[in-house]
Amino acid sequence: MPLETESTLRIRSIIKDFKPNNGDLLAALYAVQHEMGYLSKEALAVIADQFKMFTAEVYGMASFYEEYRFDPPAKTTIRWCSGPACRTRNSAGIRDAILATLDLNETGEQTEDGQCSVVVGQCNGTCELAPMIWVEEHKTYELPVGKLTAAKSIKLARGLRSGSGIGEILNG
Amino acid sequence: MVSVDSAASGTQTNEGSSVTSRYNELVRVADEEFKYWLNPLQPRIDVANDTSSLANGSDRIEQILKQAVAESGATIGIGHVHGYGIQSVHPTVSITWPNGTRILYGPVTPERCSDLIQEAQDGPNSHLQDLVIGQISGESGEIASIRDHPFFSCEPDERRLLANLGITDPDSLNHAIATGSYKATARIIGRRMPEGRVRDSLIAAGLTGRGGASFPTGVKWNFLAGAQGNDHYVVCNADEGDPGAWVNRVVMEGEPHSLIEGMLIAGLATGSRTGFIYLRDEYPLAIDRMERAIQNAINNQLLGKNILGSDLEFNLRVIRGAGAYVCGEETGLLSSIQDSRGMPRVKPPFPAQVGVFNLPSNVNNVETYATVPMILRHTSDWYKELGTESMSGTRVFSFSGDIAQVGFMELPFGTPLAKILDSCGGIHTPNGEHGKLYAIQSGGPLGSLLPSHSIDQLILENASFAPWDAIMGAGGIVFIGEGTHILVLNELFSEFVEEESCGRCTTCHGGNQRQTEIVRRIISGRGRRDDAPNLKLVDDLLQHSNCVHGQFSPKTMRNTLQHFRTDYEDAIAGYDPTLTLSGMYELEIVDQTDPLLNEAATICPKGQFEGEAGAWSINMSGCVRCGACIDIAPNAIQKKALARSPRVIPIA
Ligand SMILES: Cc1cc2nc3c(=O)[nH]c(=O)nc-3n(C[C@H](O)[C@H](O)[C@H](O)COP(=O)(O)O)c2cc1C
Ligand code: SF4
Ligand code: SF4
Ligand code: FES
Repeated sequence: MPLETESTLRIRSIIKDFKPNNGDLLAALYAVQHEMGYLSKEALAVIADQFKMFTAEVYGMASFYEEYRFDPPAKTTIRWCSGPACRTRNSAGIRDAILATLDLNETGEQTEDGQCSVVVGQCNGTCELAPMIWVEEHKTYELPVGKLTAAKSIKLARGLRSGSGIGEILNG
Repeated sequence: MVSVDSAASGTQTNEGSSVTSRYNELVRVADEEFKYWLNPLQPRIDVANDTSSLANGSDRIEQILKQAVAESGATIGIGHVHGYGIQSVHPTVSITWPNGTRILYGPVTPERCSDLIQEAQDGPNSHLQDLVIGQISGESGEIASIRDHPFFSCEPDERRLLANLGITDPDSLNHAIATGSYKATARIIGRRMPEGRVRDSLIAAGLTGRGGASFPTGVKWNFLAGAQGNDHYVVCNADEGDPGAWVNRVVMEGEPHSLIEGMLIAGLATGSRTGFIYLRDEYPLAIDRMERAIQNAINNQLLGKNILGSDLEFNLRVIRGAGAYVCGEETGLLSSIQDSRGMPRVKPPFPAQVGVFNLPSNVNNVETYATVPMILRHTSDWYKELGTESMSGTRVFSFSGDIAQVGFMELPFGTPLAKILDSCGGIHTPNGEHGKLYAIQSGGPLGSLLPSHSIDQLILENASFAPWDAIMGAGGIVFIGEGTHILVLNELFSEFVEEESCGRCTTCHGGNQRQTEIVRRIISGRGRRDDAPNLKLVDDLLQHSNCVHGQFSPKTMRNTLQHFRTDYEDAIAGYDPTLTLSGMYELEIVDQTDPLLNEAATICPKGQFEGEAGAWSINMSGCVRCGACIDIAPNAIQKKALARSPRVIPIA
């Protein structure tokens, strides 16, 4: 076995209690992504080792699910609600406004400077706030922002892009 | 293998009486605590802490209240409950006074927190009359009972599944026990009730699955009980992927022990020692709350080994999903638990034959399990007092869309939809004006789009939806007002079912791609006369898919062709009276003198405004139709329909 790097050891310790064939793989992937921000090649290999699977199998499994990332997340992620209550209130326009503001072609992309990304979110039953988005910073906060308009969402995206904090943008 | 079937009859044994006394001890402790919760020694303010309340800022309200109480030295307690049901008035708080009076207030703003504290100190109805929603308990006379609130006018006089919502702290096992949780369990184990009798009670009660297909639950449990081998699993489907449905979330965040007990009873009744709750990643609070409730249950011998001191064992685990809708399909779910892609497989074999880890398993929805304990606590006949002949009892429904009041209700099956829309305050436009109903969405992305005139014939029962080629679904119903074109919803659902196809069947992933392409092209103003027959071909093709996802994915589009044909034909011809389809309108500046136009020009994310103050024009070629400029200068900029021929003659 080659010398283990510090991050390998860290990943190993995150997943040390998970076992193969015990319904643990989803949880292991979640735990590593939560701690490390994303699932690197190295992480997939370490997980595969623990689960006695091929790395390709782990990647094949993980890539089926929307929530796993294989690249570092942007500083701030805008999770856009794709649900029906939001859709009747111009949420498609809000999505396109945010994408245009950030110079992105589609959801799933992030800005070149890594400041912002836009991902598709699912309704979680707070439709009284429609149309809404969630603004997230990994392991820091996850903030629902509701009753949006396209104009408000552009101001928000411009603020985030220029590096302003979310509190500043919403209160200012 | 543990089994409660070994004893022939329902009489008490020695072990049984120790189970009963262990349970009675739990109840004694719980009652003692709960007594002071209902009649606290000092007034208490309970802040609602469900996902919706938190999204509306209840955590901030709690912070302010705590700080104010600490600073003023007021003798006021602060607690937690789940929201009561009207989410449009979130965040809410309730105040409970020593005499047992409890009143619900909302929406609470930071500015009103000091009034709240005054109200708690001075008694009901002194400082917050404008925020009173209703009285939850006690007799103060002047304030109307929450049960008389118009929003709840379709609910039965007493709630059943949600009986303790807004009253108990969902994180408290003692509150759950004091309100009847685990009573049925103690009875089943204590009296060594034959496991078959549990299943028979569910069949007699007419309990059907709440996940959409409405299969009789007791019959399903019989399959598992009769399955081979000793290792059986019970699995809870908490994937709740239909956008607009959040009824499982309410149960898990508000009444977690009803789900735990329901699964425990399923374990006892089917000879299973292990249970899994497959819970969607989008519900982190529900995950947290379920895990805490499970731990509390374990600490009190209600889960794990030696339940209530008996020789019975049941272990329960939450599996966190990762954002795949199709994992809600039961075989996809099973595969997802087993370290694999969540791809639905061919049935048979059914889960009762081949389930988790290839062993016999039973899959039920959250609400299905959560309903079991109360049926056993009361009787099957009691359960059947509400509902219809074919669907007995109540279930939780969530209502959203263009309505005045968004929220959830526990309703008897058979409730007329028109009455429900009334209790939601009718259709409201985004500006808060009264509007007209245009469409009803039920059953999520694999469900239906119903026309407005169907509402007078719809009741909450599967059979009433069937004549419309529609399904009632799993509890989510969205009311859509006249401001939106039906194809906006078709685009949403087409994208959704395409994106969420697992990819196993070419019919499903290819067919849904094709469907989305056609819908998008129509919306962009390039509809063709052969689109309808082609959509029909896609529909036919999709019927040759392996699972219900593929088979039901063309349903909303089919409904549009059936029930919204004129709107569809008009859109093919490039005509959209709602001006919500991006390819069918342009923007026009109607008032160059409006000073807001300058701001509109700067908000445009594509820089499409040309000219200068007093002489602006909008270059439509790069405009993404986001609507931001209209948000800013609604009086100066208007949508204008593109001139097209009025209507083509349909060919299909
Ligand atoms: C694509 C798809 C998604 C589904 N999603 C869910 C879901 O989120 N929750 C659920 O309970 N059932 C869902 N179902 C239905 C389940 O396959 C299954 O019928 C149900 O969990 C059985 O529980 P019940 O008998 O208690 O209704 C889905 C079905 C399909 C085809
Ligand atoms: S119908 Fe669709 S979701 Fe179902 S198995 Fe086939 S490809 Fe997968
Ligand atoms: S709709 Fe959006 S993109 Fe088009 S002109 Fe207005 S602000 Fe610009
Ligand atoms: S549809 Fe967006 S929150 Fe429900």
